[in-house]
Amino acid sequence: MKRIARIVSPFLIASFAMGSMPAMATPSAVVDGLVTTQEAVNADQASADRERIEQLLARDDVRDQLVAQGVDPSDVEQRVAALSDQEVQQMSERLGQMPAGANSVVGALFAVFVILLVTDLLGLTNVYPFTR
Amino acid sequence: MRNRRIESARLPGAFLFLVIVALLNGCATTPPLSETTRSTLPERHVVDDVPFHGQRDYQCGPATLAMVLAHEGRPASVDELIPQVFLPGREGSVQPEMLATVRRHGLIPFVIPGRMDAVLQEVAADRPVAVLQNLSLPWWPMWHYAVVIGYDVGDELLVLHSGRSPRTVIGMGRFDATWARSDRWAFVALPPGALPVSPIGRETAKAISTFESVQGAEVALPAWQALAGRAPTLPLAQFGLGNALAATGERREAARAFRRAVEEKPDFAAAWLNLGLVLRSLGQIGEASDALRRAAGIPGPLQQRAKNHLDER
Repeated sequence: MKRIARIVSPFLIASFAMGSMPAMATPSAVVDGLVTTQEAVNADQASADRERIEQLLARDDVRDQLVAQGVDPSDVEQRVAALSDQEVQQMSERLGQMPAGANSVVGALFAVFVILLVTDLLGLTNVYPFTR
Repeated sequence: MRNRRIESARLPGAFLFLVIVALLNGCATTPPLSETTRSTLPERHVVDDVPFHGQRDYQCGPATLAMVLAHEGRPASVDELIPQVFLPGREGSVQPEMLATVRRHGLIPFVIPGRMDAVLQEVAADRPVAVLQNLSLPWWPMWHYAVVIGYDVGDELLVLHSGRSPRTVIGMGRFDATWARSDRWAFVALPPGALPVSPIGRETAKAISTFESVQGAEVALPAWQALAGRAPTLPLAQFGLGNALAATGERREAARAFRRAVEEKPDFAAAWLNLGLVLRSLGQIGEASDALRRAAGIPGPLQQRAKNHLDER
């Protein structure tokens, strides 16, 4: 990751210096040079250019992670494009720990089965439909 | 002999301890509903026209999305949604991608406050609410997305489209215990122009802004108009409205919105800068320079950019 960053960063910096728009910015059709709403939203954070580079790297990182998680590469681009900068950051940092809503069947050890059964009966959990 | 008896008592003892701890935690008590909720909302309500999509293995994320999208007239099949949101490696779907997929289908996802009141308010306004639950315990999680479609305040019940069960009824206490384990995460998916019932603010503006970056200014414009209408003093609402108007060619109205933004927040450099550029494009050179000078006078990352624009003249 670090090595990639070292190779990629100069190009990114150069491309920004040449005034190309960042990936997320929607260029205004009518008035040039407007600060986009996304930029204003992110303006609380520090240095803008540095932020943008980190953003692009984070997006690449999320792309790679999605492919590694078995997402079809042809779907990845659109999935990442629909995420906000903040969401990209979260996924880049902790996709592995994020809750993934699935409701898989508990392939349970007996003890786990019993404990969850009791907590179900106490109304603390909702694992087994027959306890209701 | 004595030893053996002590040992055999250990397991039931541990079990009893666990039960007592669980009871003392008292998670299953019904969450408090505020007096205003009780007095202002109808006693019970079910959103009738939420079509049910049953989940197959692990597919509660796509199924939940199919239900909320269809309710707003954006039908999408579970099969179509799976490649957009499901993560095979995790055998589930993660929260940011749930929101992202809603955006791709032309609706704005608004995460609502994690309170039972907020859920009931939305349901009473005929909006199904998507929720993330941990049906099990924190150390053995079973994450699950479901859709709240109804409630009964008197009997303290919720109605859910969940898993393979349409219109399943669950006590508010039990639901809240499972919902609390996701930090009470919930969202509504609304067409541009509609806003959540719960209080709005900066986060609402951020949600619209992200939607705009996916779907474009023209599609997002009604959302900004609604936000600025409901929260006219929110600087970011006026700013977002100004940008959407400028991008769709309504420069005079855009200038008005940017002006309102700086009236509310005089140190809003981005709004001064945009006001200046829009006024300049309208040929109001003097006023434009005044605005750009204000932007150039506010320390921050935009200061240099404003100075450059001033130098262009």
